[in-house]
Amino acid sequence: MGKYRALVLVVSMIAVMAVAALAVTTISVVVSPDNGPSIQYLAQQFMQQNPDIKVNVTIISWETLYPRLLADLSAKTGIYDAFSMDVMTTGAMQSGCLDLTQYFKDHPDVIPAGYDMNDLLPLAYKLSTWNGDLIGLPYYNNTMLFYYRKDLFNNPTYQQQFYQMFGRPLRVPTTWAEAVDVARFFTQSYNPKSPTRYGIALMFPTTHTMFYMFPLFFGPYRTSTDGIREFGPVDFNYGTYFTSDGKPAFANKYGLMALEDMKALMPYAPDPLGSDYGQTIEYFAQGMTAMCPQWTNPYLQFASSPALQPADQKIGIAPMPGVSVAGNWALAVNKYISPDKQAAAVKFILFCTTKEAGLQVLEKFAIAPVRESILDNPEAQAAIPWVSALPSIYQTEAFRPRIPQEPQLEGITDVTFSKMLSGALPMTIDTLQSLADQWTKVLAGGQ
Amino acid sequence: MRPRTKRRVVNSVRYFFTILTLVVFLFPAYWITITAFKPASEWNEWPPHFWPYHPTLSNFFGGTSVSSIEGILPFLRNSLVIATIVSVVTAVIALLAAYSIARFKTGGMGLAGWIISMRMLPPVTIVIPLYVIYAKVNLLNTWTGLILIYLVPAIALGVWILITFINQIPKELDEAAKIDGASNLQIFTRVILPLSLSGVAAVMVLTFIQTWSEFLLATILTSNSASQTLPVYLGRFITGYNIAWGALSAAGLITMLPVIVFGIIFQRYLISGLTFGAVKY
Amino acid sequence: MSKANRKIAILFILPVIIFYLIMAIYPFASMIYESFTNLNLTIANSGQFIGLSNYFEIFQDPLALSSIDFSAMVIYIGVPIEILLGLVFAYLIRGLKGEKVFRTLFLIPMMIPGIVFGIAAQMIFNYLFGAANYFLSFFGVQPVAWLGQASTAQFVIIFLDVLQWTPFVFLIIYAGLLSVPQDLTDAAKVDGANGWQTFLHVEFPTLRPLLYVALIIRVIDALKIFGKIYMTTWGGPGTATSSWSFYIYKVGVSYGWDIGYASALAVILLIVSTILVNILIRFLNLGEQLGISKES
Repeated sequence: MGKYRALVLVVSMIAVMAVAALAVTTISVVVSPDNGPSIQYLAQQFMQQNPDIKVNVTIISWETLYPRLLADLSAKTGIYDAFSMDVMTTGAMQSGCLDLTQYFKDHPDVIPAGYDMNDLLPLAYKLSTWNGDLIGLPYYNNTMLFYYRKDLFNNPTYQQQFYQMFGRPLRVPTTWAEAVDVARFFTQSYNPKSPTRYGIALMFPTTHTMFYMFPLFFGPYRTSTDGIREFGPVDFNYGTYFTSDGKPAFANKYGLMALEDMKALMPYAPDPLGSDYGQTIEYFAQGMTAMCPQWTNPYLQFASSPALQPADQKIGIAPMPGVSVAGNWALAVNKYISPDKQAAAVKFILFCTTKEAGLQVLEKFAIAPVRESILDNPEAQAAIPWVSALPSIYQTEAFRPRIPQEPQLEGITDVTFSKMLSGALPMTIDTLQSLADQWTKVLAGGQ
Repeated sequence: MRPRTKRRVVNSVRYFFTILTLVVFLFPAYWITITAFKPASEWNEWPPHFWPYHPTLSNFFGGTSVSSIEGILPFLRNSLVIATIVSVVTAVIALLAAYSIARFKTGGMGLAGWIISMRMLPPVTIVIPLYVIYAKVNLLNTWTGLILIYLVPAIALGVWILITFINQIPKELDEAAKIDGASNLQIFTRVILPLSLSGVAAVMVLTFIQTWSEFLLATILTSNSASQTLPVYLGRFITGYNIAWGALSAAGLITMLPVIVFGIIFQRYLISGLTFGAVKY
Repeated sequence: MSKANRKIAILFILPVIIFYLIMAIYPFASMIYESFTNLNLTIANSGQFIGLSNYFEIFQDPLALSSIDFSAMVIYIGVPIEILLGLVFAYLIRGLKGEKVFRTLFLIPMMIPGIVFGIAAQMIFNYLFGAANYFLSFFGVQPVAWLGQASTAQFVIIFLDVLQWTPFVFLIIYAGLLSVPQDLTDAAKVDGANGWQTFLHVEFPTLRPLLYVALIIRVIDALKIFGKIYMTTWGGPGTATSSWSFYIYKVGVSYGWDIGYASALAVILLIVSTILVNILIRFLNLGEQLGISKES
């Protein structure tokens, strides 16, 4: 009898395991490296609370993630169930994203109690919509900040030297023209007394980085009184690059001035055309430069760098001298997957965007919050110094285009700007005009 | 100068240049190796550290998904499985075809040229239609999908190498076996197969190395740890906001070490493979 | 051919033919077809037949033309250097004590995946912390922005290609030298030939066909250069290091799956490769080598 009992036990155990295995829904989530660690962290928590859902998080570099997602959604293969989406790509991706407005209408009970939609920042929310439909939940309200060496700017010796050289007080620049003098002052080859080797760490590589660095410089012209008068207000889908009626707005003196502002700073930056995130963050973290425009999350690397200790006295954070550029991320769900997976994926992205999750990933991973209540939270403000600076920065942000043709526009633009800055193409309005002509062709549906 | 002294001087100069060349050529591999054992504070130092002053294993174990390579095992497994299966399948299919072409002139020069040209095609030309087809037949993100496409250049090379090897087996052996009453199949298994084993080894070694290193196709046709290979794992955080050079180098080390060891052990098979059998070694 | 022979001949060749019919013909046919359409994954309902427009477009596309330029540059600068260095190194170590160890060490770069070279280059050629600028500082050279200037970025990519593939050329030449009959070189010495004359009149004639093989294989493979560029310069600055294969990837995959145009670019690359392959086959005297040409 004992033998049979053992057999029954084994069989029933296997049966239970099989049932459990069948009951578990596995979702495949793909995210960019900026979001990777925080999403993985949240996935662990989520799986503890929801043993019936297994979340597989894959991190893929931006360069690969975006085309892979685009292909997955266009071919309707449904390989990825949920993903992080750069809001700049909404136009190209929206056709494959689950319409959450409709989904929440059909399944009102999926929204957990206490999940406050109205707490989401209006801008972040709007960037996650397409034609009024919510196609992703805002997750990461990324924006560009101006990091600088607080200790050096506050140092009386340097203040005095700067005054002697330029006849005005040393302060954190508020315009790019002002930034040139300050950058020069902090570059050793121009000022042997400079405490840093270079004034500013800039990244103008021939990647998508170039595409959002330009709006930092073009934004102030585009949204100036003259710019608004000539080109109209910035359209949300076309962004800062365009006029309000969808024509390229950069092929003129303003676009040229923006590029000249970029070029004017280059002598004071270490290898700007050959540097991307990795290099510039490292240069500032190692104390090689006095200033560095960067996204929100590199703050953690700066704060942990031995060269920048004590962090609260050495790392200053200011709004961008021109304007900042929005780098928002949303979490979206694939339209072409089974209802079970959709339900699990929606549950997961809701979990990741709650107030509690937002506070945790802010403190642990410096993920800029998408909720008003977190921006106002004293605990959050104490954890990361830029939190209190964010609301005013969000007011004047520049935007990259969100239209479906964005990837092709980006491809030709990065190359042209890089060539202009490196001197391979002349810095003239004509060069910009021929770029604009290529844009017009792409927008018309040609090559 | 006495001839002996002269020779000694010449030899010293030769040693000097040999070692200098080796230092330059092996420097990237050396740099990857030492960085893999450097703590974060030593990744970017001036002057650069030419060996880890404070060696650490933290780039391999512990840390988060982007600060160490703790999650590398599934990718290592995928690479091993895919490269091994491709090598074995290539050897089998290519040996059969090579036997047919070498002994019976099947298809003549046209067929042989067609097969061999498959080795030369730039992968980027095939990857886009392949993605669309794979999407239709559910081969994206699978071992099978990668194995199938890696077989294309591998079999071409394999057929080429093995034809030259089989041609070296004297036909008299076939005929002697035939007189003894052996069937064609028996001739193949008893005469051709045992005598072309070193060619089979060359094909397998070369296929393994080339499959292991492939990046472009893998990065487009795979999606997650279920099928991504080591080069894709490596490529994933090069442009992230946080480049952990130590972890990246550790991943690089894991990516190159198996294939280097493998290649050194079997180096005598490499050359005939790399020269399409034009050089015997 | 006897019936039994034909049966086994066909049976054994069948797997390859079936495999290639499925794996190669269909993708290539679809690629060629798509090159005549405007298929683009980001544009709904694209994929109409547009004739030869994509092909005409290539000749007006400065980015395409400059990517062909850089690919050509890798070939006409990188490949000759690889062959020269391979030749030099083969002679350098021949007969030295420890020859086998040197040879083995020299083979290592060939086995390293290109993408790993890319990572190493990012570190070694870093502007502020890289070992390359450190070495140059001994000679009083100011730091060089390796990846930020067109000429130096091109140098880096070609340098990496040379590092990786010189060993391959070396291996061919080295093995070729071993196959030069010893009595020939001895006879030359008896006749009073010096080293250079021996090389020119005895060894070089033996090596020449092998050098052709190395040359053509390197040219064909140089057209595929991708991983190193992907990992270091992303084709920049501007288009300085954007190779043909990389540009196809950019158009076809990275910047929005413009499949029609990318396919046209790929078809041209395919034609160029095929021509080179045919030259290779002729040079190798492949029919004879494989024992299936008509004469044999």
